[in-house]
Amino acid sequence: MSRGFLESTTVGFARALTRTMLSEQTARERGLLQALDPRVRVVGLFALVLAVTLSRRIGVVAALFATAVLIALLSRVSLLTLAKRVWLIVLGFTGVIALPALFTTPGRTVTAVVGLAITEQGLRTASLLILRVETAVTFTTLLILCTPWVQVLKALRALRLPKEVVMMLAMTYRYVFLLVETAAQMFESRRSRTVGVLKASEQRHLAGSTAGVLLSKSVALSNDVYSAMQSRGFRGDVQILSDFRMTSWDYIGLLAFLLVGGLAVWMGR
Amino acid sequence: MSALFELREVSFDYDGVGALRGLSLDISLGERLVLLGANGSGKSTLLRLLDALCFPSKGLISFDGNALTSDRLQDDNFALPFRRRVALVFQNPDVQLFNPTVFDEVAFGPLQLQWPKEQLLSRVNETMEWMGIAHLRDRPPYRLSGGEKKRVALASVVVLDPDVLLLDEPTATLDPRSQSQVIDLIQEWKGSEKTVITATHQLEIVEDIADRIVVLEAGLMRANGTVADILYDHELLLRANLVHAHRHTHGSVTHSHPHLHSHSKHEH
Amino acid sequence: MGSARMVYDEDCRAPAISMHIPDGYLSPSTCATLYVGAAAGWYSALRRVKRVLFTRVVPLISVFAAFSFVVMMFNLPLPGGTTGHALGVTIAAIVLGPSGAILALSIAIAIQALFFGDGGISTLGANCFNMAITGSLVAYASYRMIAANSAIASKRRVVAAAIAGYLAVNASALLAATEFGIQPMLFHDAAGTPLYAPYPISIAIPAMMIGHLTFAGLAEAVISAGLVAYLQAADPALLRGTSGLAFESASTEVRVAGRSMQRLWLFIAVLMLMTPLGILAAGTAWGEWSPAELAHAAPPATVATAQTSAPPAGLQRLSNLWTAPFPAYAPTFVRSRGFGYLLSAMFGVGILLALSLIARRLLDRNRRKGYAS
Repeated sequence: MSRGFLESTTVGFARALTRTMLSEQTARERGLLQALDPRVRVVGLFALVLAVTLSRRIGVVAALFATAVLIALLSRVSLLTLAKRVWLIVLGFTGVIALPALFTTPGRTVTAVVGLAITEQGLRTASLLILRVETAVTFTTLLILCTPWVQVLKALRALRLPKEVVMMLAMTYRYVFLLVETAAQMFESRRSRTVGVLKASEQRHLAGSTAGVLLSKSVALSNDVYSAMQSRGFRGDVQILSDFRMTSWDYIGLLAFLLVGGLAVWMGR
Repeated sequence: MSALFELREVSFDYDGVGALRGLSLDISLGERLVLLGANGSGKSTLLRLLDALCFPSKGLISFDGNALTSDRLQDDNFALPFRRRVALVFQNPDVQLFNPTVFDEVAFGPLQLQWPKEQLLSRVNETMEWMGIAHLRDRPPYRLSGGEKKRVALASVVVLDPDVLLLDEPTATLDPRSQSQVIDLIQEWKGSEKTVITATHQLEIVEDIADRIVVLEAGLMRANGTVADILYDHELLLRANLVHAHRHTHGSVTHSHPHLHSHSKHEH
Repeated sequence: MGSARMVYDEDCRAPAISMHIPDGYLSPSTCATLYVGAAAGWYSALRRVKRVLFTRVVPLISVFAAFSFVVMMFNLPLPGGTTGHALGVTIAAIVLGPSGAILALSIAIAIQALFFGDGGISTLGANCFNMAITGSLVAYASYRMIAANSAIASKRRVVAAAIAGYLAVNASALLAATEFGIQPMLFHDAAGTPLYAPYPISIAIPAMMIGHLTFAGLAEAVISAGLVAYLQAADPALLRGTSGLAFESASTEVRVAGRSMQRLWLFIAVLMLMTPLGILAAGTAWGEWSPAELAHAAPPATVATAQTSAPPAGLQRLSNLWTAPFPAYAPTFVRSRGFGYLLSAMFGVGILLALSLIARRLLDRNRRKGYAS
């Protein structure tokens, strides 16, 4: 029996919230990534994601994956957590997408399954795809797990992302939680008044009206937030406070990231 | 002594509805004024007008001799000092807590007013200590309790050391302990040069925080007097929907009349 | 195709169709090209929005982005017993106008990619180009054209929103599918192994479009129509800005939107029309294949022939139209069916855009005449 719209959406909300809790915990550990300047973390990990995209050899991408695992270990990120939250899920979805490629990619036949030929090229392309996605997502996840989102945004600002954009990212993230909570409460109250399962058309109607109320509240909220900002002196030019200071370890870390990335690109060309 | 705020025949229309009509009022320096009214009476609108977040459709508001008009507020030379001197604490703290962490929130005002960094940091830390929220420094706003949010909201305006504090329903939805903390804070400012204007419908707290009361009903000013004048005028309070008159029992007698449930016994 | 909602959906039987492309599916040059395209869109949208909204930009766009984010989480029940996810791009375009929608959706997509792992970092430009930019523009143009000058509370607007939503999602999906589909043909190693997305156009487009023509497109249509109906009753002022009707406060916004929109549309139409050439240029410029590779590669035409289902004959004939004019010394892949489909798709979208541009021009001319009289 498929979960009702109410239930499954509420579950989605809860999962999004717990994900951030986990981030805040891991960010407080004392590990490799946590010790580096946030700007180095952002540049370094993004550089490695780029390296994943630029490498053309499976071996090199696999090596990058190994690097990701190593960084995770050194940063006190539980591999079990990574496996549960990232690797298995990515394997599931990307695996399903990549599976047909085994059969559809033309080339030298390696073996056959129920009459359908699997090619060498098919095997390679499927593995390459899965490996790439796994590695890239691991790097991004490591960044988020080990860095409070405020630091990520301030690092992006320090790396020249426009002020308004950073401010919008920050404010959006902050208000996502408020809106998710509001929507969840609306669903809760609806569920408590519902006996049995709603018909699909009723569910659609509920979705529309919940989204509608949420929309009205959102617009009203934005007007109030604007007034609150003005009241404290906001005139359109945002000032953001950040004091990142690079130590020699940070430079070394940055160098290490760039070297690994560069090596991977060179060897994987 | 000339008034700090002068309002002359101020009207404000919102979407065709008259939220305020023909209001004339003087507010002096150092006063503790309470705007008393039920929801929809226009008190929030009045506070926003006083903070120059919106401007009257008719009439004039002036602050310290300067007219508050939209043009005037475009001029940074006037606007910046005004924003520092007059501060508004909103009814819904979520609206006011739009920064990523508590520290960023308290620091927002000084940052926008371009204070030098050293001064900013020391003042922010000092304010957080004073409001008892220093331990919440890195907390994001969605992980704060109602009382904590209120204290952060207060801190975020108090850090600027404003001359005028506009408080919109400061104790609504708060638990008793947080409520009393807020009331204590307002009482601390008694006798100082700070002007505090509080909008509320909660009669119980008014006695503690008011020198003068203005009663609003449906956008009109119904009364303007001392605590004694207003709080015992039951007819007025009933009309303004500030008290109820349900049946209740004293010992063996059951009757109904306008009353409020405050810590002082009501008269018969 | 595309990453599924790994954060939100625990037990989806068919992977919930979403268009958020993860890292690894698109080659660096594709990513870079789309980043450039997206940056152009962001830049002009930001400028336009700031001009109209001044300092309100930050709170309004942020809260709307948060709203879109939440809408994307709704697991909507659809006719037929399935569920799908909407984008929220249509309602954003209807309430905020196209530039505001571009910004709000881009921010939501960025947050999903950065903090929730939904969509890649290298593909952020691509995702924004497909969903935020193309989606907003198609949604806005369709809504305006279909709703025309009907009253704010008219049923026609609800229908317009539904159709606009459906078109917007499918346009985005078509773009994404095309981006996937050209990967194997342009980016493969000497042995013919596709290096990124492994399916040619002939598989990518049908595979992706089926999911969106049915689920995601419907979901967006449902939520857009539902929201417009709700706003008509509860808060019609929000619908005024893009109604095209003469309102005191809204008129400047609409006129500003109208003029600049046309330039943006023109840009995109030209882009699409020129894409076939662009692809050729991109391929050679990045040196993705050397002459040696070409000599040894299994003719990628076989990539197209390896499909299990035969292509419709009409499409075949159309694609031959494209490949015929290319001279004999052009690389073999140019003559493949796959490439022909690609060009047809690109050109088709380009034609649609050009047509809608012309239609808008005519609409505007009529309206201006109306004002003058």
